[in-house]
Amino acid sequence: MKRILLGTLFTVASLNAMADAPGGPNCGWGNMLFEGQRGTPAHFLASTTNGTSGNATFGMTSGTNGCSTKSALTYGGKSWFAMNGMMNELSEDMAMGQGEALTTYAVVLGVAPEDRAHFASVTHDHFNQIFSSADVNAETVHSNTLAVLKNDPRLAKYATEA
Amino acid sequence: MLKRLASLALLFCAPVHAAPMLDQGRLQQLASTPYWIALGHYETGKLGGWRSYVDDDAFFLAHDGAHHPDRELKATVQALYAPASLGDKHAQCVFPARTRWLKEQLGLQDLPQPQCQEFKTWYQSIDPHSAALIFPAAYLNSPSSMFGHTLLRIDQSTTRSDDTTLLSYAINFGAYIEGSDNSILYAWKGLAGGYPGLFALMPYQEKLSEYRSLENRDLWEYQLDLTPEETGRMVEHVWELKQIQFDYFFFDENCSYRLLELLQVARPGLDLTSQFPLTAIPTDTVKAVKQSGLVASELYRPSRERELLARAAPLDHDEKRQVLAVSADTAQLQNPAFKALPRERQALIQDAAYRLERYRANGQERDPGQAKRSFELLRAINSNPPPPLAIERPGLPEDGHDSRTWQLGVGTREDRAYAEYGLRMAYHDLNDNAYGFPLGAQIEILQLKVRQYEGNDWQVQRLDLATIRSLTPRNELLKPWSWQVAGGLERVPGKHDDEVLVSHVNGGAGGTWQLGDDLLGFALGTVRVEHHNDFAQFIAPAAGFNGGLLWRNGLGNMTLEAKGDYFTNGEVRRSVSLNQQWEISQNLGLRLSASRQFSHLSTAQNEVMLEVKWYHY
Repeated sequence: MKRILLGTLFTVASLNAMADAPGGPNCGWGNMLFEGQRGTPAHFLASTTNGTSGNATFGMTSGTNGCSTKSALTYGGKSWFAMNGMMNELSEDMAMGQGEALTTYAVVLGVAPEDRAHFASVTHDHFNQIFSSADVNAETVHSNTLAVLKNDPRLAKYATEA
Repeated sequence: MLKRLASLALLFCAPVHAAPMLDQGRLQQLASTPYWIALGHYETGKLGGWRSYVDDDAFFLAHDGAHHPDRELKATVQALYAPASLGDKHAQCVFPARTRWLKEQLGLQDLPQPQCQEFKTWYQSIDPHSAALIFPAAYLNSPSSMFGHTLLRIDQSTTRSDDTTLLSYAINFGAYIEGSDNSILYAWKGLAGGYPGLFALMPYQEKLSEYRSLENRDLWEYQLDLTPEETGRMVEHVWELKQIQFDYFFFDENCSYRLLELLQVARPGLDLTSQFPLTAIPTDTVKAVKQSGLVASELYRPSRERELLARAAPLDHDEKRQVLAVSADTAQLQNPAFKALPRERQALIQDAAYRLERYRANGQERDPGQAKRSFELLRAINSNPPPPLAIERPGLPEDGHDSRTWQLGVGTREDRAYAEYGLRMAYHDLNDNAYGFPLGAQIEILQLKVRQYEGNDWQVQRLDLATIRSLTPRNELLKPWSWQVAGGLERVPGKHDDEVLVSHVNGGAGGTWQLGDDLLGFALGTVRVEHHNDFAQFIAPAAGFNGGLLWRNGLGNMTLEAKGDYFTNGEVRRSVSLNQQWEISQNLGLRLSASRQFSHLSTAQNEVMLEVKWYHY
């Protein structure tokens, strides 16, 4: 299962495996809904480079960035929510009740394929509980989701931390 | 005694690993196989011999490995037998693709076994299973994006069954920009090789977000039929290229060329790069990949902007006003006028308003007011969700005309007949065969036209360095600027009823409106600066206008344009022109152009020409 794989991978590499809190500000747990997006919008000359500034990233950080690796929702050493625009997309999909980001959320939480449609409708119905305010952050969305799952007989088994 | 035992023990415990002796013949043969050449990114040097595209000593084990694939191979084989204690720094861990191939080719059974922890961890989390070529298409208001870009997506073993690519990784080759050069320097250095090129790997979602939301570009995803072994081989090679610098040249040694090289490593025997000796324009490389049979299927992802416009399209004028009102103040959702509307219409309006708010928030810092409005709209959407968007897939970009144009025309100017010969290196103007290109976008790089008048009188008619026009229509929700920029040499009326070759730079800004389904009307104010031999001043400025209609009809694209330049020195130059293209086939067109040019320096001149356009790379 994906979450176990991610969990063990980073526990091996991380020096902070025992940290309870999700970690520092770069881990993404503090990301708020409608966070501004990173990157430069196109100006007409920019496309001659198609490049990146700063370090040419190469995927996984080795886990020494201080972010907790206990949670299932890690991706590249940071919170899955920290991916550019991920939380926004998830909120949109959940409001509508369907979409790729919502499916990915189910996958990352370890929801089995046969339960994913039910997961989508349950989270859609409890949208207000999960995305409780305009300033809600990633950590809160995650714990709210787990609370909602706990109350559903079919999905309660997924409501555990990694 | 102990000493002797100890030394005996050492003899038996010492690693019995030793690199095999390769005879010259075998070495040369191996070093010149296409696969080894691909792994080293070698190309044949201008004066014979080899030269690697890699511009980084860290990539080579032999001190002149960049020019000698055979010495590099020999040095690699030696390094494979280094003591295993080197761990992650061992050649086997730094060059897993080379290791695999050499092991196979030379039958190396007795290699030391270093622990490549870093590589293994990285490789396992990527979990390469299959790949897709990703092509962000042109964005109308950013014409240089018309060249496109290509990157690779690496899918995992569970991607297909999970039906989501948001957990996949993207491999992107681009210029590595350090510091903050200004825009012009940035563009120039990108073109001229002032930046090094590096591969980067990041979550695919990052790239999706960047292209669909920030840059509002549609994405085309070409699922490739690479097997898990082939994908794995390619990813192993990407590890070898970690933090390795290449040269980066926008036109030839660019993102697309590098990706073709990667595909050649994935599937030995594939030859894609030889089709691009001069330039590698991304759309052309997509065509090459498709022709080689690598593409299994194609998926289209519309940009956020296109989704917004698609959602708003069925709304009538009043409903669009509601969209603007609701997105400005979510209290409008409680307004009786809004609530009186049918539920389905409310759902559409809410969704359009939300998308508009998010579009406006693009690229900005988080604003609490905007966030609150977006959130209220999301709540409204949640209680009354709209139907899913169904967006019609536009023309396939790889099925558009080729990027280079050869031109042959015959015409008359007043009473003199002429033949015109032309070549345009890239790319597309307002009248060219339209399939696969956005309507109203023009970008031309390096165009030369030469005329031969009767009596064997030759002259250079024009030399365009670059001409860029972006005529994006304004609508009720979005009001983008239309603009254009051009520079080069062209013939304009002169004092003696002749045409004088002038050098010029000009630009303009204004608006475009959608007058009908396939009809655009545009009007721009322009500014021009030129050097004209018949003028007293060295540099003569002018202000003016440029307006007209662009109509896509049954034959092809038609433009009807009026231009005027009012110089400070008193010269007034105006012209009216009509151009109609007849699209004969994907790569062939016939264009009729007629114009009348007015100038204070000479009498009005008429010109008519019929031109064949052959789009051929």
